[in-house]
Amino acid sequence: MNHTTTTALPARAKSSRDQWFLGGFVVLYALIALFSGGYFVYLLNLIGIFALVAIGLTILTGFSGQTSLGHAGFFAIGAYASAIFAQRWGVPFWLAIPLAGAFATVIGALIALPALRLKDLYLAIATLGFGIVTQKVIFEWRTVTGGGGGMQVPMPSLFGLSVADGSRMAWVIAATLAAGTWAAFRLASSRTGRALSMLRESETAAACIGIRVARYKVVAFALSAFYTAVAGGLYANVVRYVNPESFDVNMSIMFLAMIVIGGMGSVRGALLGAAFYVAVPEAFRGFKDAPGLIFGISLMLVVILLPGGLTSLLRARRKAAS
Amino acid sequence: MTAELIIGGLASGSLYALIGIAVVLVLQATDVPNFAQGEMAMFSTFVAYTMLNTYSLSWWIALPAAIAFAALQGIVVQQLIIRPLLGSPTINAVIATLGLNMALHSVAGMIWGNLTNVFTSPVADLPVFRLFGVNVSPDSALTILVSVAMIIVFTLILRHTRAGIALRAASQDQAVAKLMGISVSRSFALAWAMGSVAGLVAGILVAPILFLDVNLMAPLLIKGFAGAVLGGLSSLPGVFVGGLLLGVVENLLGAYVSGTFNEALSFILIIVVLIVAPAGIFGRVKSTKV
Amino acid sequence: MNRSATLSIESISVSFGGVHALQDVSLTLEPGSIVGLIGPNGAGKSTLLNCISGISRPGAGTIRLGETNLTGRRPDQIAGLGLGRVFQHPQLIPELSVLDNLMVANHRTLRYSVLAEMIGLPSVRRAEAEARHAAMQVAARVGLSPSLGMVTGSLPYGHRKLLELARVILMGARHLLLDEPIAGLNDAEIDHLGHVVLDLQREQGLSVLLVEHNMGLVRRLCNHVVVLDAGRVIAEGTADGVLSDPRVLLAYLGEVPADA
Repeated sequence: MNHTTTTALPARAKSSRDQWFLGGFVVLYALIALFSGGYFVYLLNLIGIFALVAIGLTILTGFSGQTSLGHAGFFAIGAYASAIFAQRWGVPFWLAIPLAGAFATVIGALIALPALRLKDLYLAIATLGFGIVTQKVIFEWRTVTGGGGGMQVPMPSLFGLSVADGSRMAWVIAATLAAGTWAAFRLASSRTGRALSMLRESETAAACIGIRVARYKVVAFALSAFYTAVAGGLYANVVRYVNPESFDVNMSIMFLAMIVIGGMGSVRGALLGAAFYVAVPEAFRGFKDAPGLIFGISLMLVVILLPGGLTSLLRARRKAAS
Repeated sequence: MTAELIIGGLASGSLYALIGIAVVLVLQATDVPNFAQGEMAMFSTFVAYTMLNTYSLSWWIALPAAIAFAALQGIVVQQLIIRPLLGSPTINAVIATLGLNMALHSVAGMIWGNLTNVFTSPVADLPVFRLFGVNVSPDSALTILVSVAMIIVFTLILRHTRAGIALRAASQDQAVAKLMGISVSRSFALAWAMGSVAGLVAGILVAPILFLDVNLMAPLLIKGFAGAVLGGLSSLPGVFVGGLLLGVVENLLGAYVSGTFNEALSFILIIVVLIVAPAGIFGRVKSTKV
Repeated sequence: MNRSATLSIESISVSFGGVHALQDVSLTLEPGSIVGLIGPNGAGKSTLLNCISGISRPGAGTIRLGETNLTGRRPDQIAGLGLGRVFQHPQLIPELSVLDNLMVANHRTLRYSVLAEMIGLPSVRRAEAEARHAAMQVAARVGLSPSLGMVTGSLPYGHRKLLELARVILMGARHLLLDEPIAGLNDAEIDHLGHVVLDLQREQGLSVLLVEHNMGLVRRLCNHVVVLDAGRVIAEGTADGVLSDPRVLLAYLGEVPADA
């Protein structure tokens, strides 16, 4: 049997299609940022922020298969930490946010440790507990966080120039999202991404190929926490006022809903899910219960009928390479 | 003082236990953690309330009707949503139930609005009685008694009726059960019906205490799950003990450590227990063949 | 990695909740040899493989690779020492391509950090390109080149098994643990896989522990065969010798045929 000829690979087809998608997204984003009114820009900012959350959650749940029902906790940590660093110690927002991210990363890594021993449902409950505990801590620690009354976020400024305006903030968010998306694509097509995907398939098989399961779970949690917390920090600077009530279990569940509806396990899905998450309540303003119903039904429909999420509608049919 | 805390804890704990029972029943039988359990219970409870108040039916009619509704609800959910997902990873069913949770909450809001309603307990007119020198409200006593009764009833059904035994066979090994002529789909529908009824009972017991509105069950569901996890998701008595334990610990922590932080502390406690015993206090981890 | 080390399994015993899955099992895998492990279902063959790979912990006994003690080590450490496990049911990432699945094996050789990876440094790209090249060569070796870009979810079963084999080869494994590698394959595929294993083994001096039910393959490939029944070794020797041993026939058939 002579199979020494190697055919040229279909030029990394998957990633070039992704690059087109990302490019399109960026162009659309820029157009809206430049040419629309304040309210659309605000929505756009929210999409950008939640897209970062979605990517973070995708790394943990989509790639590595670790279900988290507590990601609102990391989002809250990012928001509050940025606000506190800025307000208490006058740290400029562009430093406060990454610092908050780093802080959340450490917490994420710590959370991973008990998570190593827990599987599936138990892990889900433990992450649920994390989210609840975080919300409660923020609520109780009045001296630092302002408790139930919430906290004002100082005006963000970049080298003396105020960035509080939505359209200025849009550039910051767009840049962060672009960097985050780039990094996530890189991750997916390299060693860590493959290891995480293998982890999701079978931890045992992954270990037998030489993957240190524990290490990668910690990496997944840490990265996920970082993305989500940075998003939280941006969120704080956009809404300029945070209070613990918004970072509840429902938010965590909505985060999961985002990536499921968008298409779990892909960065494209994360972006689509975030857009869906922001667009639906907007489309149904005035109908209090309608968004919940739509999200709920969408989730069920996606899981039963369209497991690949919205992104699978856009994906060209897979062809076998020849 | 401590005795009062403990009795109070047992009362709230038995509520957690009831939800936990509903969840574990379905989990053990069909391998799906039902995150919509709370909203399903809330919905059925609202149906009961509507029959009692809007249509002024008596308890003797409303209760069986509500139970029938709950059972039907369980069957419909299982057949329409869960059954198509048989065979795919459990996370899909989890997500589906989370979606159902949201949808039911919204629909309930649409039908019954967001008012808070007073739900009169069937034992509202009974006096408070004393036990071990502590005042026990009839509601608390009813809750504890009903939880125990439900466990007994469900255990009897599972052990001594044909349908129950068929269900246990189906949950152990679907392929073999089918070969033996057991309808797996029907058995699973039965499990979900039972779970939904258990939820309804929990709702009816809780509503008089916490007042009936669409947000009634959400916090309870989480505690129910937590208590069940603590007791080790494998047996109904284990879940019962776990729920009670959670209720008592919460009360004691609330009084002796911190009034507002006790819920969070309870969760931390559960996470610690899980680290030490990943399958809960009484749990047994299902081993899987590689 | 021990280039030519002997894998010694000494008096391994394992029980699961009162059931003795393995009792006092010993086995030696000399470098460059192919040993068959046969026995009726439930004999403990997969359990033994699990102990060697580090998935299960034996209650008693030791497993050694040359001088290094493997018992109690983590599976990824054991993999790093040169043991490659191929599972009965292929464990592949369905939405990634054949090539990407193969590249998982390059895990230990790619040394860049997570940060470098996410930035996308040129050094990372170079390392990836080299790893891709190595993967493509192994794929060619087993006959998977035409399928490299295919998504494994749509790969035929026979190719999945080949992919699993290619993966452990790419890993640099010197000692292969193959768990029923040809189950579910047709004759042509069995033939092909048998050839591939033999070629690779001869070329690289690999040692192979082969768990199999297909006696034809066992006869064809194995220098030495060990028979397991109810957790114990009941016979060992050459393939022909063992397959006409009445004790072995008894274990498989429940009785000794009159013409044995």
